Amino acid sequence: MASQTKANILARHAANAALNIPLPGISMRGVRDLGADEPFHPLDERIIAGAVEALESGQTHYVDVPGIAPLREAIAKYLNASCGASWQSANIIVTAGMQEARFLTSQIIGAQYDSIAVPAVAHPGLQKALGLRRRQVLSLPVEAERGYLPSLDDIAAALKNGCRLLYLESPSRLSGAVYTQSQVARIADLLAQHDAAAIWDQGLARWVDGGCNSLAARAEESTAAIGEAWHGIGLGSWLVGSIAAPVDWIAPMQSQKQIMAICTSTASQYAALAASEIVSETHQQRLAQMRGQRAAAVKLASELGLDTLPGAANNLLALHADEAARRKLAEAGIDFAAGEDFGAPDIVRLNIGVATNAAIEALG
Amino acid sequence: MSKKKQAAGTNLLYQLIAEARAYDDVIVMGRGDPDFDTPAHIVAAAKQAMIHHQDDVAPPAGLPALREAIAARVKRVNNIDVDPASEVVVTNGGQEALFLMVLAALGEGDELIVPEPNYNTYADSLAFAGGVKVAVQTAHEEDFRADPALVQAAITDRTRALLLVSPNNPAANVISPADMRALVNIAIEHDLMILADDIYDLFVYDNFVHTSPASLPGGKERSLTLNALSKAYSMTGWRCGWIVGPADLMARVAELKAAISGGTSIIAQHAGIAALTGPQDAVNMMAAAYARRRRLVLDALDEMGMQYGVPQGGQFVFANIAFTGMDSAEVAQRILSEQHVLAYPGSAFSKERKDYLRMTFLQPEEQLVEGLRRMKLAMASI
Ligand SMILES: Cc1ncc(COP(=O)(O)O)c(C=O)c1O
Repeated sequence: MASQTKANILARHAANAALNIPLPGISMRGVRDLGADEPFHPLDERIIAGAVEALESGQTHYVDVPGIAPLREAIAKYLNASCGASWQSANIIVTAGMQEARFLTSQIIGAQYDSIAVPAVAHPGLQKALGLRRRQVLSLPVEAERGYLPSLDDIAAALKNGCRLLYLESPSRLSGAVYTQSQVARIADLLAQHDAAAIWDQGLARWVDGGCNSLAARAEESTAAIGEAWHGIGLGSWLVGSIAAPVDWIAPMQSQKQIMAICTSTASQYAALAASEIVSETHQQRLAQMRGQRAAAVKLASELGLDTLPGAANNLLALHADEAARRKLAEAGIDFAAGEDFGAPDIVRLNIGVATNAAIEALG
Repeated sequence: MSKKKQAAGTNLLYQLIAEARAYDDVIVMGRGDPDFDTPAHIVAAAKQAMIHHQDDVAPPAGLPALREAIAARVKRVNNIDVDPASEVVVTNGGQEALFLMVLAALGEGDELIVPEPNYNTYADSLAFAGGVKVAVQTAHEEDFRADPALVQAAITDRTRALLLVSPNNPAANVISPADMRALVNIAIEHDLMILADDIYDLFVYDNFVHTSPASLPGGKERSLTLNALSKAYSMTGWRCGWIVGPADLMARVAELKAAISGGTSIIAQHAGIAALTGPQDAVNMMAAAYARRRRLVLDALDEMGMQYGVPQGGQFVFANIAFTGMDSAEVAQRILSEQHVLAYPGSAFSKERKDYLRMTFLQPEEQLVEGLRRMKLAMASI
């Protein structure tokens, strides 16, 4: 006999549209996979050695919920150096990847506020995380021409209307567009003025020329900064992320992390710890190379009459592409991130890599 | 001290763990973390994966090869038939599996029947989901047996699911095949889901037998069953577990998994493949060690005149300390500060259990003997 209880459960989940949105890949599966946002990078053998040494010496047991102490410290140090924040270890939670960071911040910091304002176009993981528990979500209007960053006027309007928590991506996970220094300063002012707070996804900031322009540097007491640890170092599928936040927020997120995961995999944490030593080592060269590849891709796109979106993150490029153009991409065997999953139909996002130009040719 | 007394549940445990760290000579009989390190061949396989599987991606449901290995494992050990492609989801340990299972099955106002005492994360996860716990109390005099008649009596028109953790944490009882059949039949009769937690299924003592509800007629279609590598292979730090269940529900579980954490570390997953498909001697060795240690602990408790539910499985004993006339949080605190032995207070598991202490078998024998000797001293002074 069919179960009515089960049918009701299935109906409840099916009604929750957010859960059905597919997530783009985290790391590239091969050169023609341009759908993930992490550039491919072979693992440095020192990272492997760090992980193996820890495992062989018995780091195979539960560790502290918010992360192993040296990694929390390394993350704080990295963020302070790259973003001008002044976090301590106690401000850091190591997460099992970026999605867990989205989930913990949006759900647990979110629970302290009546509503949360989010860009109408953002990483689909945000909608999914918010969809897990009924929240009042306010959608901030966005436009392709601004790389899908909500305008300061719209942010101000949301705050004036009583919303006290923002979720913003800078760089945008779809376009790579970033807020300028003065815009970030203005957002910080708005937060102060309205006694509001922000969750700030800066995971892609490593790929921006001029570095990380973090809200945390200007509004540390009211910002939770999230990102991968570290984006593009080759640990994408090892799933290590971080949350940096005021200690008052750390405690409830830590409790929730205990409930849903106990701790982050020690293999991943010790690998990230080893990576922290070398994360900046060849970064400028890689960044320069990607900048060159991205510029060439933009030029090629414009020669082919394709419409690219503004973006500052050198690891990705978003373009307008209708149904027919996408079919051609698929026929060329190239994977891409579909804009509609982010809330922007007719946009494709390509990773910057060796196959990017081939993808643009297929589109054009 | 007053602050310590106020702390509830998991927070209380974390305070005790933090204090325990301050003592060089502490003997830990608290946290459910096996003292054995992960077997070397599993670590070696993880190392190979780091070198040769850097291109692997982590799909939310898990690596196909691991799902195959899980399907083979639940068939072999639990007699559950599942399709690896559609009926298995890999998770960040048993804990994420537990959270997902609760979120999948229970919504706002839905009731979950929970035999108590039980693993406290179920209540925490249920609170997140907005569900309601309906406790069915069990007694140490009956070795914490959950009487199917009492379970049946607890059913209301809001009941949606039944939680069956066997062997249980902290009560260490194993649901007998006959009781399991009765419980599955109750679930069928009242159209309830079953949330099954088999995480201790390889550790069963004396003549007790582990039964998975999903292996019984009519069980699989209404059961979500979790397990993990953590306890069986001493892999608590890796974070690799799973849920199996009927395809229609598992599709939803996979979506929830994507929403919560996206995927599971490929290194933990490759380690998981090695654990499930490689030699099992380490598991057998550990199971034999726990059986010996259990005897040691029970003999010592008998000498102290303590009452307890006989652990039929798992890695713990839940002992009654009512004779002290003190709250278990206070007793645990005194044993820790006076004798540097960490045991978990029953009040961390539920407010009805402040007369109990949970002790694990997860220390080498000589450590256990010393821990029990000190415990005797502490109890005598109380
Ligand atoms: C009954 C039970 N289920 C699930 C878990 C979670 O285990 P883990 O997440 O380490 O696999 C535990 C841990 O103690 C447990 O006792």
